[in-house]
Amino acid sequence: MILLGKVALGIVGTAIAGVGVLCSEGMIEVNVVVRQPEAHHVYVVAPAMLVPIGMRFAPQKDLSRAAAQIQPWLPTIRTALDQLRESDDVTLVEVKEPDQHVRVAKDGGSIVVDVQDKDETVHVSTPIRAISSTIEQLAASAPSN
Amino acid sequence: MRKQLCGILMVCMLAGVAATAPASFAGPGERYLHVKVEDAAKGESVNVNVPLSMAEKILPTVNKGGLHNGHVSIGSAEMNDVDVRALLDAVRTAPDNEFVTVKEKDQDVRIAKSNGNIVIHVRDGNKGGQKVDITVPMKVVDALLSGTKETNELDISAAIRALSDAGDALLITVEDATEHVRIWVDSKNASE
Repeated sequence: MILLGKVALGIVGTAIAGVGVLCSEGMIEVNVVVRQPEAHHVYVVAPAMLVPIGMRFAPQKDLSRAAAQIQPWLPTIRTALDQLRESDDVTLVEVKEPDQHVRVAKDGGSIVVDVQDKDETVHVSTPIRAISSTIEQLAASAPSN
Repeated sequence: MRKQLCGILMVCMLAGVAATAPASFAGPGERYLHVKVEDAAKGESVNVNVPLSMAEKILPTVNKGGLHNGHVSIGSAEMNDVDVRALLDAVRTAPDNEFVTVKEKDQDVRIAKSNGNIVIHVRDGNKGGQKVDITVPMKVVDALLSGTKETNELDISAAIRALSDAGDALLITVEDATEHVRIWVDSKNASE
């Protein structure tokens, strides 16, 4: 009985630890509200770590091609992400038009993109750490010379 | 049993702390370059806010076209063989003054040195004509030209560093009948 309790505790503990690790890179939040022509509401909150994990299932050929394209810009991307991580919260770009509002901001540890127009509202929040992990994984997919 | 429980709790707590750790450790005194473009006729506006420290770090990593390692190469042909450094040295040592004034029927141009700044005013007298005001701290111009004379390079990174140290400054305004462009530096992380 005690052994069974220990096994159960081990399973529960592992599950909790797994969830903790899975959430360690923060959460990606996507909220899409479509008003016209048909009303839809999509709201997804997912652990950001799923993105680099999901990349393992992407075709190696496509990853290699993307990695080759991104290679010259890696130092710039890495520096930009490092600097963004260290910077205060800031609205990086904001575009306002009579029927549209676009905002790209650094908010907490995430990059947030908000788009609002008369037909739909889109909100995407991605942790910078997850972007970094994904970029590093993409860089590692580059064909070795 | 208790040790196991403690171990699991520790792992969970560490993961939780890692997930919620504040990502922003920016030191005080961060300065931002703001660009604001407004079109009153179309009701549009664009705001761009860039932390100067970020621009300063990113620029040296971009090596494309004329930009390399935070420098921009300019050929002597583009300078029309004018020794810009000597020219600026003369301006730097001169007292505040208006150096160039051009008055035409439809246009006024004025270039002056005032309170440690190079000031350029352009006025287009036509209906709806543009008004351009440029104010650049001398220190920024000096930093821009701090590269070696032989290579004819503008040191953009140094200029950004100097801009960061120069305090709040309205650098450029361009106005015409409908559009208004402003470029300035301050310590606010959002446009006014």
